Amino acid sequence: MSALIKTWLRYLVAMVVVGIFIFPIAWFALTSIKPISAVFNKDRVVVFDFEPTFDNYKVTVLGGLKSDNQGSSNILMGTSGEGAYDGRGSIVSSLVIAICSTFLATSISLLAAYALSRLSFRGAQGYMQWILSQRFLPPIAIIIPLVFIFRDLGLRDTHLGIIIAHTLINIPIALLILKSFFDDVPIEVDQAAMIDGATRFQCFYMVVLPMIKGGIAATAVLCFIFSWTEFLLSLFLTNSIRTVPVKITTFVTSTGSEWGYISALGTAAIIPGFIFILLVQNHLVRGLTMGAIKD
Amino acid sequence: MKKRSVLPRWLTSEHPLPWLFPVTALLIVFGLYPVLYSLWLSFFKRNPATRKEKFMPSWNWEKLLSDDRVWDAVQITFTYALLALSIQLIVGLAIALLLDTDRKGFGILRALMTLPLVVPPAVTGMMFLLMYDSSFGVISNSLYALNLLSPSAPILGTGSTALWGVIIADVWQWTPFMVLIMLAGLRALPREPFEAASIDGASGLQSFIYLTLPMMSKIIALAVLIRGIDLFRIFDYVKVMTDSGPGTATETLTAYAGTVYFKTANFPYASTVALATLILVLVTASIFIKVFKVRF
Repeated sequence: MSALIKTWLRYLVAMVVVGIFIFPIAWFALTSIKPISAVFNKDRVVVFDFEPTFDNYKVTVLGGLKSDNQGSSNILMGTSGEGAYDGRGSIVSSLVIAICSTFLATSISLLAAYALSRLSFRGAQGYMQWILSQRFLPPIAIIIPLVFIFRDLGLRDTHLGIIIAHTLINIPIALLILKSFFDDVPIEVDQAAMIDGATRFQCFYMVVLPMIKGGIAATAVLCFIFSWTEFLLSLFLTNSIRTVPVKITTFVTSTGSEWGYISALGTAAIIPGFIFILLVQNHLVRGLTMGAIKD
Repeated sequence: MKKRSVLPRWLTSEHPLPWLFPVTALLIVFGLYPVLYSLWLSFFKRNPATRKEKFMPSWNWEKLLSDDRVWDAVQITFTYALLALSIQLIVGLAIALLLDTDRKGFGILRALMTLPLVVPPAVTGMMFLLMYDSSFGVISNSLYALNLLSPSAPILGTGSTALWGVIIADVWQWTPFMVLIMLAGLRALPREPFEAASIDGASGLQSFIYLTLPMMSKIIALAVLIRGIDLFRIFDYVKVMTDSGPGTATETLTAYAGTVYFKTANFPYASTVALATLILVLVTASIFIKVFKVRF
């Protein structure tokens, strides 16, 4: 009997705890479908009896006009201009940047990770430590010179510039995770392939690479998420191109914040991450610890 | 018979050079060179009136050491990092123990627990700004109802509570990181010692303190290191939620470097403050790695 109560108590506590962690996301998503009158109602903060509306998504994600949005015309706040809350350009920019930097970081890290896993050479240990120290480098320490370097190279405020910056922060993570996946493949596989006459590169490309497909996918997903959520580098390196996280912060102004639009674009920004993280649950711990803990 | 290649050995795929070249080149040009450039910049004194820079190697570093805002920022950075880290570690371990069971339904709960990790930190800042809002925020209003907060002292607008407001957002986002790593550690524990202990009559608490914790110490140290370094580099939440305010109550070192950069355009001094962050991270991390013998 007491064991049964214990079991149910554990379920209850676990559900409450997880509920607390889900609440901010749920509240944000709920705000995004509230009409403006319900968002700013300070007498009844917790309301569920509102008419759900997708007006906020129409403006931020679908490019609808702010003036068509019922109820917003009589509230003067936030940034002006019809296009100020149009997040379509930002979503496209963020997608392009995340996809390109993921591809770049994963592919060049694959080469380096294979060499570090398979070719023994002097200084390999030191090289690994250098890569690791790059992961620990505070972005703020490189951002100011990077602004100057990018200006001189014509990379400032370009997609290519942020793609390079995000590749840079993803390389150490991708390299260390991929090395741990290569280390899982027994070295006899390479030896057998090379006895059969394969060159080192053929052995890498045709034999070992297909064996760690799942690991590469997991690494790519993590790189995508890190790029998609990155804020500091994108903020410093751009003026007109705005990634989604930077764009959202422009919705907060001294004259008030358009919480409807903020929560709509914010909720939309969370969705790709949710889908992806559920796909890589099996390799998540390895990814977050850069291969130090295998799961 | 092996074919002889006409290429020099260091260009063949047996040599590490071609494999490592793309990564190394990118990291040197956009990672190492900027740090050295930053150091070089820090040797110049900028005259704000004429916008001219003069080579005076010790000027910014002396200014840094005598700048009260830097010392305040160091203190706030350490306070922030230590409070957030201890809460995340303890709560994370507790939740991991709670969710570490094969019973039906807990798999879904563990998956749901990972969701905060993929929310962009800038969006997390927004979520909490909305909930903290002094007139219609759900957290603020709940605290008013419990008489724990008064509308005249909003959470992020009051010096004594603003840092906590930011820490709570950080804790919300990153406790799941600890939960995941602790769960991986708990799952990897061998069963036999626990069976032996329970036969010998050890209580659950005893086997936790004398078996679980020592066996998990390596994993805990690793999690603390990764999280700790990220906490020292904290920027997003502060920038989005308080912009270092009220006053300088939540101004961390990185936030101060950003403020110097954006508001005064004194790039040499901003670089100096940013390098100070790097030095602080490197020194603290090396001590930690030595003391706790963390290995990757």
